[in-house]
Amino acid sequence: MSKISEKNLIGESVRRREDFRFLTGRGRYIDDIKLDGMAHAAMLRSPHAHADITKIDASAASEIEGVLCVFTGAEWKAAGYGTIPTKSAVRKFKDGSDLKEPPHHAIAIDRVRHVGEIVAVVVAETRDIAKEALDAIEVYYAPLPAVTGLKQAAAEGAPQVWDLAPGNVCLDFGLGNEEAQKKAFAEADHIVTLDLVNNRVTAVPIEPRGAVAGYDAASENFTLWNSSQNIHANRDTIAEAALKIDKSKLHHLAPDVGGGFGAKNGVYPEPILICHAARLIGRPVKWINDRAESFLSDTHGRDQVSTVQLALDKDGQFRGLRTETLGNLGAYCGTVGPFTPTGGSSRTQGGPYKFDAIYYTAKAIFTNTAPLDPYRGAGRPEASYQIDRIIDYAADVLGFDADELRRKNLVPKAMLPMKTPMGLDVDCGDFPEVYKRTMAMTDRAGYAKRKADSEARGMKRGFGVCAYLECTGGGPKEHAVVNFRDDGKVGLAVGSHSTGMGHETAFSQLLAGHLWLAIDDVVFTQGDTDATPLGGGHGGSRGMEVGGSAVLQTSRAVVAKGKEIAAHLFETTSDKIEFEDGSFFEPGTNHTMTIRDVIDASNDPDKLPDGVQPGCLNIGTTFERGIISIPNGSHAAEVEVDPETGVVKATHYWVVDDFGTIINPLLADGQVMGGVAQGIGQALLEEIVYDETGQLLTGSLMDYAMPRADDIPPMHVGYFEDAPTAKNLLGVKGAGEAGCVGAPPAIVNAVCDALKGYGVKHIDMPLTPEKVWRAIRAAQA
Amino acid sequence: MYPFDVKIPTDLAAARKAFEDADDGLFLAGGQTLIPVMKQRLAMPGTVIALERISDLAGIKAGGSEITIGAMTRHAAVAADPDIAKAIPALAKLAGGIGDPQVRNRGTIGGSLANNDPAADYPAAALGLGATIITDKREIAVDQFFKGMFETALDAGEIITAVRFPMPECAAYVKLQHPATRFAMVGVMVAKVGSTVRVAVTGAAPSVFRATEMEAALTLKFEPNALDGITIAADGLNNDIHASREYRAHLIGVLARRAAQEAIS
Ligand SMILES: Cc1cc2nc3c(=O)[nH]c(=O)nc-3n(C[C@H](O)[C@H](O)[C@H](O)COP(=O)(O)OP(=O)(O)OC[C@H]3O[C@@H](n4cnc5c(N)ncnc54)[C@H](O)[C@@H]3O)c2cc1C
Repeated sequence: MSKISEKNLIGESVRRREDFRFLTGRGRYIDDIKLDGMAHAAMLRSPHAHADITKIDASAASEIEGVLCVFTGAEWKAAGYGTIPTKSAVRKFKDGSDLKEPPHHAIAIDRVRHVGEIVAVVVAETRDIAKEALDAIEVYYAPLPAVTGLKQAAAEGAPQVWDLAPGNVCLDFGLGNEEAQKKAFAEADHIVTLDLVNNRVTAVPIEPRGAVAGYDAASENFTLWNSSQNIHANRDTIAEAALKIDKSKLHHLAPDVGGGFGAKNGVYPEPILICHAARLIGRPVKWINDRAESFLSDTHGRDQVSTVQLALDKDGQFRGLRTETLGNLGAYCGTVGPFTPTGGSSRTQGGPYKFDAIYYTAKAIFTNTAPLDPYRGAGRPEASYQIDRIIDYAADVLGFDADELRRKNLVPKAMLPMKTPMGLDVDCGDFPEVYKRTMAMTDRAGYAKRKADSEARGMKRGFGVCAYLECTGGGPKEHAVVNFRDDGKVGLAVGSHSTGMGHETAFSQLLAGHLWLAIDDVVFTQGDTDATPLGGGHGGSRGMEVGGSAVLQTSRAVVAKGKEIAAHLFETTSDKIEFEDGSFFEPGTNHTMTIRDVIDASNDPDKLPDGVQPGCLNIGTTFERGIISIPNGSHAAEVEVDPETGVVKATHYWVVDDFGTIINPLLADGQVMGGVAQGIGQALLEEIVYDETGQLLTGSLMDYAMPRADDIPPMHVGYFEDAPTAKNLLGVKGAGEAGCVGAPPAIVNAVCDALKGYGVKHIDMPLTPEKVWRAIRAAQA
Repeated sequence: MYPFDVKIPTDLAAARKAFEDADDGLFLAGGQTLIPVMKQRLAMPGTVIALERISDLAGIKAGGSEITIGAMTRHAAVAADPDIAKAIPALAKLAGGIGDPQVRNRGTIGGSLANNDPAADYPAAALGLGATIITDKREIAVDQFFKGMFETALDAGEIITAVRFPMPECAAYVKLQHPATRFAMVGVMVAKVGSTVRVAVTGAAPSVFRATEMEAALTLKFEPNALDGITIAADGLNNDIHASREYRAHLIGVLARRAAQEAIS
């Protein structure tokens, strides 16, 4: 094998190419798309959490000037459209029976099951007219009892969301060796039990969901621009399952997407409904959710309650772990929905710690709330919270030092590679070293003084840690295709999808770096089902792992083909050709040509070997990941609590991550910091709240508390790069979700540490001022 | 948003006439409340009458023992004004703690008082400092001004033109931010004006109110520990997912003590 330099640009903090566009208002989001004759759709959403629709009278709405059409579930049913299926990877109950999947129509037929469910669609000349017409539709509801809370829904006699799912159970699940777990518990000196709530949150992307649908009657083709994170897979579902057309009849595009965090992963009703509308009226149709609708109808995340049990010996050695979880699904199975609380939350149980045995069991539960689907991390943050929270809790109640417990129980490097009790393949890493490096950053020496300063001001200071282990996920395949254009630019299209993370920079950097081309010459395309034959979208921190590997693999294929061309022109064989510093050359001769010469030659029939076609460098390859990667790291947080008001302020934050090779530290930092900010949001501020009747109490940014810049402390981020994985071509492990995997336990541990003196043992997230105040009062009572 | 007409009068008489001529007229000041509620289709004025171009409605005048702030004065201007910083620093701090820079550059003192949001900051300043609300028709002592949630003594079509604040001996405003809105979950203004002590509480009840028992205690001794033992009844206080009435009652005590401390330091 000839030596190829991959050094150029890899590891460099290349500035984000896309930011100029984004920061100067020149991005192309869905609402920027304006087509000739475009009409506007608005959705009438149910005000009831559970009700029969006895009658809908849309006649007055239809007569409003400017209204083009109104349709309801009755028309939808008559038109014979299909339902939106779940793609959950876990599909069987423990006893082997199938998961309970209710029919998910794009529009409610006869009954609504959550507030915000669509009951009618208006299409009009303008958005304002469409919205106004919504008020003129009369819907008659016969309300039914509703259930929103997990424990209530799982209880005997609870209102039933679906007849086909008795007890509201969609799916149950178990992973691990329960017998071994029970044995470990029986042998252990201590068993500590902690009930945990993982609060329900929502993504609040800056760009709300929206779509534009067009229909060409001549070809019977749909074009759908959709603020989606996963256009290939969703095209298949929208076309084949819902619209019942061949997938070749749907061109699915996502231009710039303003944030997703999982909430744009799934298939939603609205894009399907406006495809129908576009065909019905013969004009393009746009729909944009407003912020209030986003809270009602975006998929939510987390919402699990768990009982966690940790068994340990008297010297602090962990023996066994058992977690029993109820996970809220909302009223329907989301695209991934049932997987998150089952398989998704099971795999990283136990984190980076050594256990004899672990058993995880869960039930996925229907409620009269908006559907849930992945939210950044999707199961791994839940697992990480469970293990790292119970470690601090166990240390507190049993009198151990939490730091000592962690150091004692982290899987030592010598044990790698290993399979965890949950079956995860951990090939490389050094958890104790990563933990040590994090602790070394944390300025423990200055802590006593900071704590004393806090005390002097009547404040309580606390320190918390989380050593996390997570895993990548999402579609295993990715395609990258290059196109050397005659204007000197290089087209690069990848099926992985950025919703702001910076793929345009990172992928261009990989291609340009490998081929020694100018990054500015790379013209990047994503989010277009015509541009790549397949695409895995965005999710599971897979972008660099799978997409980046596809780019590198394609780059390598270009170099290999370039060698054939050079060999032909040098009248030798390609195994004699080397590629370095942007030149193809034959060592020991004066034969050399630059990559640019080779690109030119690739388009010139006179310069190509027999049988090789011009354009032969325009190569696309598909990379397929074999085994998922294991990002890991340690987080540490310092907080200050005002015991009189209960207000928590995070003051310091430190992270060391093992993401394998770091391609672009600037982008990696962005992922870590954004993820940590999101994790701090979940730990301290964010919560979706429904009342018992199913009304959403946090339906706007006036009630749903998002973190702001001043809620986020300065962050110190470091990387452990000594253990690149061999599971993909780049040695990367996935950076996208780790931040919000580690932050919630680190923050909650820090707050509980601060309040130890009061006897506070645990507070459920979000740690709002009132909850903290009450916890202090309760502990002192 | 529903369609509406816009009128941009340049004097008060024209503004009044525009209001009389309109079917459903509403004045627009900084628009930081009105525009969002119109977008949410919760307000549907037929005519929006912008006050922005009316001369003399904005500006800050310090004279003698009083400071007069024009109704259209932006929060940012109050926060940055040197006379206010000197005479009533608590008021500058309060204005500088409203919302975010965008809100402070648009929102006005007149709009905030006319709106009387239960969680707004300015009502606490006006009530706590004993301000006088000046309208195009009359002067209203602040104790007569706030009538209930989003309700004031203003007649339909009456325009606040300015607010007059007495210069206090000392004053302080302490607010616990609502985690989502950054309005006051509870905010307490403690002020000593002449020999009178006033304690105004916002965010805690349907409308800003005076904590009279605290006022009496601080009148006897203007020190934080004068408030020890005084509890505020939770009955009638706001109760929502962010703060129960018991917690709000507790916060009033904590924040009042902190404000008293700040006022004397
Ligand atoms: C994101 C955000 C955060 C905010 N945070 C805070 C906060 O922390 N604390 C806080 O106190 N406020 C906060 N506000 C509200 C802000 O201070 C507004 O400026 C204020 O409530 C209304 O003032 P305005 O000038 O914008 O009035 P507008 O919205 O223009 O008008 C409000 C109402 O008052 C009437 N009105 C306006 N001016 C007059 C007048 N001169 N005479 C008679 N009627 C009049 C209008 O007709 C309307 O009904 C926030 C607002 C936003 C959008």
